[in-house]
Amino acid sequence: MNRHLIISLLTALVSLTAKASEDTDSLRIIRPVTSAYTIEAGSAKITDTYLSPLKYTGETFAFGYERFQAMKFNPEKWIMQLRIYAGLDYTESPAQNVNMWGFGLSASWDMMRRYTVTDGLKLAAGGITSLNLGALYSTRNGNNPTSAKASWNVGLTGMATYNLKIKSLPITLRYQPTLPLAGTFFATEYDQLYYEIYRGDTKGIMHFSHPFNYFQLDNVLTADIRFGSTALRIGYHGIFTSTKAHHIVCNMSTHSLVIGISGEWISLHSSKKITDDTKIISAYY
Amino acid sequence: MKTIKYFFTVIILFSLTACHSVKEFENDPKGNFDALWTIIDEHYCFFEQKGIDWDEVYKEYSRQISPEMSQRELFNVCAAMLDELKDGHVNLTASFDVSRYNKWWSDYPQNYDERLVEEHYFNFGLHQASGMKYGVLQENIGYIRYASFSSPLGEGNLDAALSYLATCQGLIIDVRDNGGGDITNVDKFVARFITERHLMGYLIHKKGPAHNDFSDPYPYYIDPAPTGRIMWGKPVVVLTNRSTFSAANNFVSVMKSLPQVIIAGDKTGGGSGMPFTSEIPIGWGIRFSACSVLDSNGNITEYGIDPTEGCKIDLDKDLAAAGIDTMLEKAITLFK
Repeated sequence: MNRHLIISLLTALVSLTAKASEDTDSLRIIRPVTSAYTIEAGSAKITDTYLSPLKYTGETFAFGYERFQAMKFNPEKWIMQLRIYAGLDYTESPAQNVNMWGFGLSASWDMMRRYTVTDGLKLAAGGITSLNLGALYSTRNGNNPTSAKASWNVGLTGMATYNLKIKSLPITLRYQPTLPLAGTFFATEYDQLYYEIYRGDTKGIMHFSHPFNYFQLDNVLTADIRFGSTALRIGYHGIFTSTKAHHIVCNMSTHSLVIGISGEWISLHSSKKITDDTKIISAYY
Repeated sequence: MKTIKYFFTVIILFSLTACHSVKEFENDPKGNFDALWTIIDEHYCFFEQKGIDWDEVYKEYSRQISPEMSQRELFNVCAAMLDELKDGHVNLTASFDVSRYNKWWSDYPQNYDERLVEEHYFNFGLHQASGMKYGVLQENIGYIRYASFSSPLGEGNLDAALSYLATCQGLIIDVRDNGGGDITNVDKFVARFITERHLMGYLIHKKGPAHNDFSDPYPYYIDPAPTGRIMWGKPVVVLTNRSTFSAANNFVSVMKSLPQVIIAGDKTGGGSGMPFTSEIPIGWGIRFSACSVLDSNGNITEYGIDPTEGCKIDLDKDLAAAGIDTMLEKAITLFK
């Protein structure tokens, strides 16, 4: 009983609702939520020709949250993932006399079809939609100090997870690349001022995106070292973005070390108990 | 499993298209010179109006670049090249100097003496509301001195000044030596002199790196100040000189289009290009005109705005020594 109480409290702490579901078949299906909170730190490179033709280099910091859960309609084969990511970049010009700040916030949701290759190896692939907002800010520029970023995309994401044990310690390795394929994104015209947009000249500032004008490859490589229901997550997160619109090129890349906690939580109450006919289908482990 | 294969095929295929290239220049004298020339070549907006052959400029000045030259020598060559643009909005900024083209004002009489006005017309008694000074002339004409559009201009400041001057028969707005600043302050100021939506002018920006790759002129309007604000419907004279530049030039352009406004003094200094900023590998900043602001008739005002016909006047230095500002006196006579 105490165990159930602790699990429920953990669920409240992560402020997420982990919904268990019941299958109409003889087995009761419970779909636990795998959540992870991570912080990231690493290097950043930014070139945005609206602000400067030079490549700025520096540091990146980020906070990430993600949750996985098997889908209700076919939990063995389909899983979903929600990711929220907030990043901050602090970079310097090559001459180290100007700074460029980057701010970004993104949220994405995806659904993947998964395949069990072996007992430990699972592969998954599916569609993703993401909403991204942010801005670059140059401490030097007068009338063009900021390059705003906004996009909505749909694309592909895939995931490979592999469960292994080192001595008795279970570890889950994960590699997940994500690639937007189409959508829309914001970009001013070549030398258009934000004052003109403020004045109402918004013609041509939204663009249909495709990988030839909006390329982004997001790579996540993590290892979850599991201690009971909670795990220590360490890994790598790399994001490479290259956009071109109205002759304005923006290249941004970050490479970060990831550290955080993750865990698989189940919400239980009197009407939802683990019994002999219960089957737990994890989306991640 | 086919899904997985397709997925990785797509990832690999599109990864091949990944990075959009950006022209890079070496951080040496030639690289920095070329970077500067290229930025201007691809972004400057007045080549055609000024009849500048930028390729010829490159030939002339690139000959002066050598690998051994000092930073100051390089700076001087770059500054001389930029002077060919004859643009007060063009500056090269290094840690040891800032280049600037001065002839838009230095070749003309200054036509303004702050002390002359403050001492002989107001006995140093002008009131001040943020960046504005104001008072009442003996002839019961209101006077507002706004020295820079960079100075804050709040709605409350405008209310304070205009309500104080409300009983005056007319208003002189002195923007001599006003070198510009925040263009949104132009909106705030002009909004007190109109009763309905008014066409301020047109905005044009570069759409691409070619010299004549411009957007269509975009008309922009201003609405009257919100209900409850102090408005001004009586005659107005705007006093100008050659150092009335940039946002102040834009202010004069808009005010000139109002029926109750007369522009008096000297031609303004121009500066209708909205400046952008960029930089070159050595770390020097470069500011240049990238967007053009046209007046409400669609005319370029880069070369300045003439006073209203019959209202051109310079400051008489001899009379100024005797405490008379001939330009201000002219403005006063326009209300009679």
